[in-house]
Amino acid sequence: MFHEYKDIIENGDTVIVYLSHNSMAPITVTKGQVYNNKFGSFSHDQMIGLKYGSKLTTKEGRGFVYLLHPTPALWTQVVPHRTQILYLPDISFVSAHLDLRPGKVMIESGTGSGSFSHSIARTIAPTGHLYTFEYHELRAETARKEFKDHKLSDIITVEHRDVIANGFGRFNVADAVFLDLPAPWEAVAAAKDALRKDTIGRICCFSPCIEQVQRTALALDENGFSDIRMYECLAKDYEVRKVPCPNIEEAIGGLKADFKPIKNDKKRKLDSTTDNGDNNTESCNINVTKPVDLVRGHTSYLTFAILAPEQESNAMLE
Amino acid sequence: MTPALMNPTLIKSGDHVIIRMPSNNAKIVCIKENTTISLGKFGSFKANELIGTTFGHTYEIERGGSIKPHKQSSFDNADITEANNREINDDPNSQKLSFEEIEKLKIQSLSGDVSAQDIINSLTENNESFAKKTEFSKSKYIKRKQRKFMKSFLPLETTVYNLCDYFFTVNPSKIRGIRIDTLSQMLSLANVYSSARVLAVDDGQGLVIASLLSRISNDGMVFGVHDGDVHNYDILRYTNFSVDTKDQLQTLSWSKLYHKMEPFTEVLAEDASEQDKTGRERRLRGHTKLSNTLDNLNRGNFDALVISTNYNAKSVVERLIPYLGGSRMLVVYDQSKETLVELFAWLRESPSFVNVQMTESWLREYQVLPSRTHPLMNTSGGGGFLVSAIYLAPTQETTASSTANNDVSAQQESSN
Repeated sequence: MFHEYKDIIENGDTVIVYLSHNSMAPITVTKGQVYNNKFGSFSHDQMIGLKYGSKLTTKEGRGFVYLLHPTPALWTQVVPHRTQILYLPDISFVSAHLDLRPGKVMIESGTGSGSFSHSIARTIAPTGHLYTFEYHELRAETARKEFKDHKLSDIITVEHRDVIANGFGRFNVADAVFLDLPAPWEAVAAAKDALRKDTIGRICCFSPCIEQVQRTALALDENGFSDIRMYECLAKDYEVRKVPCPNIEEAIGGLKADFKPIKNDKKRKLDSTTDNGDNNTESCNINVTKPVDLVRGHTSYLTFAILAPEQESNAMLE
Repeated sequence: MTPALMNPTLIKSGDHVIIRMPSNNAKIVCIKENTTISLGKFGSFKANELIGTTFGHTYEIERGGSIKPHKQSSFDNADITEANNREINDDPNSQKLSFEEIEKLKIQSLSGDVSAQDIINSLTENNESFAKKTEFSKSKYIKRKQRKFMKSFLPLETTVYNLCDYFFTVNPSKIRGIRIDTLSQMLSLANVYSSARVLAVDDGQGLVIASLLSRISNDGMVFGVHDGDVHNYDILRYTNFSVDTKDQLQTLSWSKLYHKMEPFTEVLAEDASEQDKTGRERRLRGHTKLSNTLDNLNRGNFDALVISTNYNAKSVVERLIPYLGGSRMLVVYDQSKETLVELFAWLRESPSFVNVQMTESWLREYQVLPSRTHPLMNTSGGGGFLVSAIYLAPTQETTASSTANNDVSAQQESSN
């Protein structure tokens, strides 16, 4: 589901029910069940056999929803938060920096709510593997079940384990390690053990505080990692609106212009008989962009480093 | 269960490698057997020394162009001290070595007679203000000299990340100014996965195409639509992709988008020359290839539509959207948002799309040193804008009741 598309909704599928961009809900389509929202009831049986992306109207005709195919990006927007999660800008940048692609083997700790895990699995499937470690037993269990429901069990192994106390228990296997822990510096040595020694290893430590970064960077240096680079990555959303922008001549001529932004909200209404009769001077309307008022100003610092392969350097030093 | 590990990436003769020099500048070189790679003032080394090695080591260039792995900590133990710059005046005479003496050291260093460390030592020893500097300032001074005199380099694999970073720095217009954070968001938003069929327009010399190819495997494919007769995806030649991966790319000229295939009817004359025969074979191959390409396009139902174009974005989307599958992602990149506003407004009004978003990515790099952690003084001003949307299933008007409206299909017709 999450690492390949299908066209038709079947019993047991995960579907993202879309009301609006800030109102979506994941459901597991189950024969006999009913999904309710403010518009009314939608029976799961009606969904089965429909194409993904279909529009479904309530029996009462009061409203409709779209039935979307799940993707890791949508999942990030609807995932039940058990912890603070990673968002798309960080997920994307980290994946690119760690050179994730089909076939890569990756270690992640902790699993948290599994937001990043879905993305990693999508990117490294079908031949790669993700080992994800979570020290919170219930969270590990919930994540394991979720990955199973999402048919990702072949790609993701969840382990309930305190990696700081016990290491990863895996050696020379990972192309990349991602540490999202309160004290990542305490897991750097274990990460080194887990990374492959026959090719370049890549690590990313994800920490919200600068003090954590400083300790992590020192630990990376002491453990022989190099090219330590630290970044912050955020995305700013823009809204686009049509606004009137009349010439001042109108005011000089004694007219009072109407500056109300032009509403474009007809999409949610069923009877979309277009009435774009925006009374005032249509010609002076322009499309403008404006950043949304409140944006995420900080998520975490991303500290990257590489680990040079071992055997080779020994061979070359001789 | 132990997963099969990918083979380590070894540098082969003919591969392209990005070389990062002490100055932090980088260059792309082709590692050809029995050649010497020159890094200008940072020395030159024998290509054979890199062939067969993998990535991750920094090397120091030694006498005669041989290289040796070199580990240098970027950290120092500089700490806050009593020293300050009260006594330090801007005095060009504080360096007691003459210009000629320094030049001589540089020449000796290039030939390998004097190590970079020796030069830096003589420079600091002969600098009168050096001792008065704070520990931080001393460290900074030494780092600056290292960037100038060290004869070391870091070979970097031509991954999508490194290629984007390289071209964004040296020639951003070649890749239409797309920064790696923005490019990586395109890949996430478009939900590119191993077996995806991705429809793409890339007027940025193939970096977007390369990034898509890097995320698919044998079951997937990338379909590029380009202007002119042949595509101009120059960046692909730096990627060291295997021939297999390049086979996953199919391309079609815009001018052939609605081409109607006629059966291949060319018949050879009885007295056809060898040249005529090979000519006919070539035309037959071209005919078959175009026919396969068009068949693939017209099968439609692509898993993502990814666009970076110099043409009007809305006009491109209108032409290609009929080929996209339902509940799949449209992602459009541009350097400026003005060119995307019209598209955004159109998507917002169209009932065929939901979750229409316009975003700008923001990236900031930091220096991390004990007691000296701060953002870098210079940073890129912008990495471009993305418009993304989910395309809905065009064919099925699905309702539980009978009050269907048909604006979706109407939309579909108007865009055909």
